[in-house]
Amino acid sequence: MGGVTSYAAAPPPPLPLPPPPSAPDASATHDIEEKDKEKQEPTDWLNLPCPVPFDELQREAYTSLKPELFEGLRFNFTRPLTQKFSLSHSLSMGVLEVPSQTNEVFKVSSSHYEFGANFLDARCMLIGRMLTDGRMSARMKYDISDKLSVKVNAQLTNEPHLSQGMFTFDYKGRDFQSQVQFGNNAFYSANYIQSVTPNVAFGVEGFWLGHQRKSGLGIAARYNSDKWIGTCHVSSGMLSMNYLQRVSDKIALGTDFLYNSSTREAVCSVGYDYLLRHCRLRSRIDSNGCAATYLEERLNLGVNFILSAEIDHWKKNYKFGFGMTVGEL
Amino acid sequence: MASRADLKGKGKAGKGDDSKGTFIKSMKQWSTWCMKKAKVATQYGFIPLVIIIGMNTEPKPSLMQLLSPV
Repeated sequence: MGGVTSYAAAPPPPLPLPPPPSAPDASATHDIEEKDKEKQEPTDWLNLPCPVPFDELQREAYTSLKPELFEGLRFNFTRPLTQKFSLSHSLSMGVLEVPSQTNEVFKVSSSHYEFGANFLDARCMLIGRMLTDGRMSARMKYDISDKLSVKVNAQLTNEPHLSQGMFTFDYKGRDFQSQVQFGNNAFYSANYIQSVTPNVAFGVEGFWLGHQRKSGLGIAARYNSDKWIGTCHVSSGMLSMNYLQRVSDKIALGTDFLYNSSTREAVCSVGYDYLLRHCRLRSRIDSNGCAATYLEERLNLGVNFILSAEIDHWKKNYKFGFGMTVGEL
Repeated sequence: MASRADLKGKGKAGKGDDSKGTFIKSMKQWSTWCMKKAKVATQYGFIPLVIIIGMNTEPKPSLMQLLSPV
């Protein structure tokens, strides 16, 4: 500690220097100062931050709680040719679950190879994937201007009447986002989300399915802060709430609740997401007695080893998968 | 008299409806034909389109880079 005043009989010493900042003290005072500033700064109601798009309302919680579990072997290879253009090859050998009337689970072995081409630009994104069984998926996103963007999404198959396509127009305002969607089977939907305070956003959505004569309305709310994110989404017949707590920058804990009023079923799940230096581990257990884990281990730069497990003792359904992902940074 | 006028009126309305109906039908058939052709074009042509766009943007990769597995 510096700033020692000398008690010698010399001329009075200058004012004692402030002690050189030792790390914990300085950061503590800095944090306290920041919190004071936050409390003291009045909220600028005309300058609220832009909320996340309505589709991504629950994205953080779902990324942590619901990783893409798979069964069997999965091998993904992404080969970048330039910074914007890359080709991807994906091989998958495993089982597919066939939906059945009874409670039993029927599994059918299947394998497929998927070839994909990706083009990512500042304004335009084109992603195309073609599978060996004839299915093709095409996605395009184009930013017409700073605020308006159009997305086209198509899943095409060789079988008739099973193809789907969707056009989406997004408009991003200063503190709101809105979206209009048109799809096949006469599907129309619109949604709107608005920031009401620096941390809270409310949204509404409506959709109409022409061919099945179904329509629905929904509302959603989201609270977003540095430490935790909570969302609630009520739409026709479904209630979904989730909560994600960031304990530190490596650990996140989350919980999720889903209620379906037409079938009167509710599912609740609890999970964690550990983002460590060499791996990312996500696990959850839910109220149906199903436990799942997904591990991505980084072996080398760009080489990831993935393990996936899902155990459901009630339905006697055990799914284990392993694979490698090469090339995705 | 009134009945004849009614019949005439209904006849005219019927013809008007028919022309509107055929117009709507032809529009639907035309849009369905368009959608079918667009679906085939997308299924066969989207990935080649992405590859062509990618090969022609700066920096342009060579054909060997596209075809070699390394």
